[in-house]
Amino acid sequence: MSTQAQQTLAITGWSAVSPIGIGPDTFTESFNTGARGNTDVTEMFDDEPLPRSDAFAMPDFKAKDHLGRKGTSFLDRSTALAMVACGGALADAELVIDEDNAERVGVALGTTAGSVKSTSDYGRATFVEDKPYLVNPLIFPNAVMNCAAGQSAIRYRLKGVNATLAGGPAAMLSGLRYARTQIGLDRVETLVVGATEEFGPQTAWANEFAMRAGGGELSAGEGAAMFVVEDAARVRDQGRVPDAEVLAVEVATHVPDTESDLSPDFSASLARCIDRALTRAGITPDEVSTVASAENTMPATDRYEDSAITSTVGTAAHRIRVKQQLGEAMSASGALQLAALLAGHRSGESRDGEVSLLTAHTPDGVVGAAVLRGWRGRARASE
Amino acid sequence: MSTAIDRSKMEELKEIVVEVLEIEDDELTDTSLFIDDHEADSLRAIEILARIEKKYKVDIPQSELPKMVNLQEVYNVVAQYADWQD
Amino acid sequence: MNRRVVITGVGPVSSIGTGADAFTESLKAGRSGISPITGFDPTGFPHIHAGEVDDFDPKGLLERISPQDWGRTSLFAASASRLAVTDAGIDPTELSRSAAGSCMGTTGGESQVLEALTEHALTVGFEGVDRDRMGQIPSSRLAVAANRELGLTGEALTLSTACSASNYAIGHAYDQIHTGEQDYMLAGGADSVNRWSHAGFYRLGAVAERDCRPFDKDRTGIITGEGGAVVFLESLESALGRGARIYAEVLGYGLNCDADHMTAPNKDSIVQCTRIAHGNAGIDQSDVDYICAHGTGTPANDLTEATAMTEAFDANTPPISSVKSMLGHTMGAASGFSAIATVLGMHRSFLPPTINFAMLDPDIPHIDPVPNRAREQTVNIAQVNGFAFGGNNAITIFGRYA
Repeated sequence: MSTQAQQTLAITGWSAVSPIGIGPDTFTESFNTGARGNTDVTEMFDDEPLPRSDAFAMPDFKAKDHLGRKGTSFLDRSTALAMVACGGALADAELVIDEDNAERVGVALGTTAGSVKSTSDYGRATFVEDKPYLVNPLIFPNAVMNCAAGQSAIRYRLKGVNATLAGGPAAMLSGLRYARTQIGLDRVETLVVGATEEFGPQTAWANEFAMRAGGGELSAGEGAAMFVVEDAARVRDQGRVPDAEVLAVEVATHVPDTESDLSPDFSASLARCIDRALTRAGITPDEVSTVASAENTMPATDRYEDSAITSTVGTAAHRIRVKQQLGEAMSASGALQLAALLAGHRSGESRDGEVSLLTAHTPDGVVGAAVLRGWRGRARASE
Repeated sequence: MSTAIDRSKMEELKEIVVEVLEIEDDELTDTSLFIDDHEADSLRAIEILARIEKKYKVDIPQSELPKMVNLQEVYNVVAQYADWQD
Repeated sequence: MNRRVVITGVGPVSSIGTGADAFTESLKAGRSGISPITGFDPTGFPHIHAGEVDDFDPKGLLERISPQDWGRTSLFAASASRLAVTDAGIDPTELSRSAAGSCMGTTGGESQVLEALTEHALTVGFEGVDRDRMGQIPSSRLAVAANRELGLTGEALTLSTACSASNYAIGHAYDQIHTGEQDYMLAGGADSVNRWSHAGFYRLGAVAERDCRPFDKDRTGIITGEGGAVVFLESLESALGRGARIYAEVLGYGLNCDADHMTAPNKDSIVQCTRIAHGNAGIDQSDVDYICAHGTGTPANDLTEATAMTEAFDANTPPISSVKSMLGHTMGAASGFSAIATVLGMHRSFLPPTINFAMLDPDIPHIDPVPNRAREQTVNIAQVNGFAFGGNNAITIFGRYA
């Protein structure tokens, strides 16, 4: 096993933008008290009908309320959510960007397909305008998937590695793995890692079709969460207390026996991921106190995920089903699962040092697991 | 061109420009420069042109863009193509 | 673990040829893959040419996944991956039992699927569109398609860092093998021609009418293109152990971000990225004897890139050519095609040309764009440039293995 493989990351600040609250403190309080984010969304989009009247969305979210007017009126929703989360995470970590460190700080941002509404609307304009090229050049970058990462870098002057990871529900885990490699090989010192997903007619219908096909009932969601990630050894050496150490992250592809199987049982592949993550983290199954799962009311996939979890760490660990409170928010869901775990630690010192497991899977067969050890975190510990 | 300026048309153009440049009404004067004073770039210039073409149903070639450095010059170019001289 | 990493297979699916031999032949002949658009109805567009893969035959190329289950871009990624594995001569069964995965770069992902559904929704609403097609939109499917086609159970990561994404992907794959995290990786990128990006680039005044003419004084813009470009990477030890043909070694790469403007290129940042890449590869700038340019053919890119290279190489810039003159701008696949062209050239001792070239832009006097004809030359160390919206710069460095 390589030295890089044992690289441990520390999370030294984070923020979440979600229907149950914006910012780490509000999110922590709301999540821990069981708040659910579904709300009436019938007034959100006047041009497109939605599949249902509710969603785990933020109808009142306006970029300019959080980021000011200048440079925000043409932002897409997915980008604005990410930018607010990115700024919040940097502030929470008290990480000040200046000339000296700007090139050593970067972004690794998860998405499913970017701002789907922007891309769809751009295509739509080519069909409905008098000429197909009468599209708005200012919002062309919004239709490209790396917009949120690029705009976040511009706003906060982050000149280091800037990556967009299109991993859907597993993007958060891919982002942590990407950070482990990039930081481990000293390509960058600090990465703001997270994921963003917007609610819109396109994603709402995509979720609706997926839920109907899979027998689930959960509404679509939106949000973003970002985490400031550094080398854990460095954080320890500097005597700082992180919010968490990421002890291991494993992902795999479940290749079904036959390609015609539309809902293959991925439990064995996910269980292997969890096992491998625990082994690499040096954690025994009974040490896991909390599991943040990706269960989303689809009976078959929930069963596969549950089976993988119980076959590896048993049933004693507390299970938090983040999507029950925050909906199916695709790539953002993975990030909100992590935020939910950290919210559990931020509320008090009683859980310092506890170990958590996070699991994820995508409709196309990627499975993954992360093992973390959390604390109440830096300044909060002395409050 | 010696035609008198139509203030209401000027106000309409101003509305388009401040929206695209994301600035306040009182920041933009007839002669303040889009690029030097208001941080405009070529994308914003193209979009200003596009909105004008749509609103007044005129075709203005992109080759006119370099002339359109401030509100007054925008007015002059549009007046020419939209035939605003009365 | 600090393993050396080599490329032992290439899989180009392009408008100038599919497979290593056809692609090489076209590069050497300076063939153009540009033709009138057929992938969408270009009526109303003043410029109607693109670099489409007219003869793309996923059924003929793929062995495991079914074309009807996947979008065109995923099929490009999977087909190019299958070709790269075949070209590498590794036993597919052995490969599928190994620690192996894929990393695919893209700009638009399956946005042409979304675009088709959007058009359909104009009449039936999103409620009425094809539900299975809706499920094909997530970009993660590009890398997953490659893994499922080859039965790979390792990581399947799609990096959507736009037009430098293949370089990101090759860099990430290099890291995975270098550190021992994986033993084999497929890396590259894929994209499909679509209306929305053709319209967007046209609106920016960045689309040429007929020819892409990088570094030429009369260049007018890009030609949109498509395809799949994948390379097969493994450790040097593994390649030697199985007696594989080695195209080139991956020496390292560099990434940085302009953090300045979403669409305008930034010279200083490109210079800095070049230095990061050289430092990571452990080479001196004077070691580089060929640059495969980002070279889109827009006035802004080529001026910025050539000026940056002139600065980074102290006015001793090695020959720098753009394969986009032949392929058009294949977006997320672009630096993958550049990497393939570069390592093929390295292996077979030639420099790919910049075609459609008439007269050098006087503002970039220190550039040798390898005009119009491939050049016989030994290349020991080469650099592949990839730049993108969002200021996402990525430069990879390759070395001849002899």
